[in-house]
Amino acid sequence: MVTEIADALSVAALSFAYVKEHKRQSIISDLNLNVRQGELISILGASGCGKTTLLNLIAGLIEPQGGAITISGSKKGQAVGYIFQEDALLPWRTVGSNLRLAAELRHELQDSIEADLQEYLKSFHLTADIVKKYPGELSGGMRQRVSIIQSLLFKPELILLDEPFSALDFYTKLRLESEFYSLIKKQNKAAILVTHDIDEAIAISDRVLIMDRAGKFSNEFIVDLKEREPEDVRGTTEFATYFHQIWSALKSNIAFEGI
Amino acid sequence: MKQASLENKIVWFLYPLPLLCLLTLWYFYTLDSKEHQFIFSSPAQVWQTFLRLTYSGELLRNAAVTVFEASIGFILGTISGAALGLSLWASRIVARLSKPYIVAAGAIPIFALAPIIIVWFGIGIVSKVALAFIATFVVAIGQAYQGAVTVEPKYLRLMQVFGATKMQTFRTVIVPSSLIWVINAMKLNIGLALLGAFIGEFISAEQGLGKMIVSASGTYDMATVYVGVVALVVISLLLTSLVDLSERRLLRWKR
Ligand SMILES: Nc1ncnc2c1ncn2[C@@H]1O[C@H](COP(=O)(O)OP(=O)(O)OP(=O)(O)O)[C@@H](O)[C@H]1O
Ligand SMILES: [Mg+2]
Repeated sequence: MVTEIADALSVAALSFAYVKEHKRQSIISDLNLNVRQGELISILGASGCGKTTLLNLIAGLIEPQGGAITISGSKKGQAVGYIFQEDALLPWRTVGSNLRLAAELRHELQDSIEADLQEYLKSFHLTADIVKKYPGELSGGMRQRVSIIQSLLFKPELILLDEPFSALDFYTKLRLESEFYSLIKKQNKAAILVTHDIDEAIAISDRVLIMDRAGKFSNEFIVDLKEREPEDVRGTTEFATYFHQIWSALKSNIAFEGI
Repeated sequence: MKQASLENKIVWFLYPLPLLCLLTLWYFYTLDSKEHQFIFSSPAQVWQTFLRLTYSGELLRNAAVTVFEASIGFILGTISGAALGLSLWASRIVARLSKPYIVAAGAIPIFALAPIIIVWFGIGIVSKVALAFIATFVVAIGQAYQGAVTVEPKYLRLMQVFGATKMQTFRTVIVPSSLIWVINAMKLNIGLALLGAFIGEFISAEQGLGKMIVSASGTYDMATVYVGVVALVVISLLLTSLVDLSERRLLRWKR
């Protein structure tokens, strides 16, 4: 039996450069990427290599100079959730009002998301009374979790995450990674995670891609783990093998920069 | 916590001190000198004049006229200026075109405009409202526009990701995030509205604190002049605290 799994995202021959005072700084060049529905991939790469730029392109925030981006059949810019490197909760709105923002903008009935909202708060270990607070009253980690829920309530087919768990303490991070992973799998969404944390990339993705300085993917690792519980997976020998492979690939990429 | 409350007590206790020093100095300087009293009046004379003007209803009537003119001008000028300044966000071209005009309008001293406005609108209340309006309008446009264009880009990105329309972005991000600037314009505009109304009255009017002060200074009635000045200060402080109050309500999220 053959099952066709549709591509949630397909990026072909993408290129992008920043042009400043007649100087072209090429960031992404001839990049290809396919992400299947229900697949979670991670992108690792040196700081400044163009990871955020790639996510901005996929989200339609900036226009590529060449190539094509197709999101589950539809044109780009639609139904993409994006959790920014730095949270963008509106400070004058309460957390609840921030969470209902996407529904409000689409003129959806607020009741329709209420059940999901409560459920997500529980999944991400936030108490229900947080909705009455203002973002300024939360810790960085809490704000990041609220941003993730805000994106999920937008019900996107594809979710982009730019270092979403980097501000969290180790244990919270493990729990959220695990929640997030099972959520993506349960809802059969696609997700692209940008991270600097090799452990995290292995623990919660089906594929790990390494981006080089030229703005291409230099290596690809299919992660096939028997154990997925982030709390336990980190001790296994499989995990250590993946870590070793990815680290050597990443090292050769970062090294020539000579930091 | 305890430190702060102690500091507050000390500050509150010391607030009247400079004023008391000034009053004492003034009292002794003018105590036994007709010459000094002629120019500086004296605390006792000012107090008596205050009581006389209060009982006759003259002070209240003039103050009410000035407050009325300034408030109407302030409200119309600030609201329409802020609305226009914020909506300039919608079109870069219109904003760029209007910028030199707004700057030029802001550079005209209100004093220079006053005679023209009085010729146009007469010596009644309308010309003073117009002056207060003009003085506040320009500041409100400038501040509101500045607020609208300095919105943090990440909020605009969020709206773009959520597929918001321009109008939705305006309502949900531009207006609320510019509120601080609009409130700032309100603070500046209280003084400017009073100044506008006052200058109008000063040049030509039948009533108002400006008129009262000009008439009194014409007859070297310094006591009445001082009562008028103090009344203006008190009005300005009251209106400012009104704005502070609304600021605390509107910017509750800032704590
Ligand atoms: N608005 C901009 N104008 C010009 N150059 C930019 C702009 N934004 C980013 N760049 C440049 O593009 C390159 C890639 O930036 P990008 O933010 O995509 O890196 P990144 O891989 O996300 O880095 P990090 O891991 O530090 O977040 C950098 O060299 C940066 O200097
Ligand atoms: Mg980045």
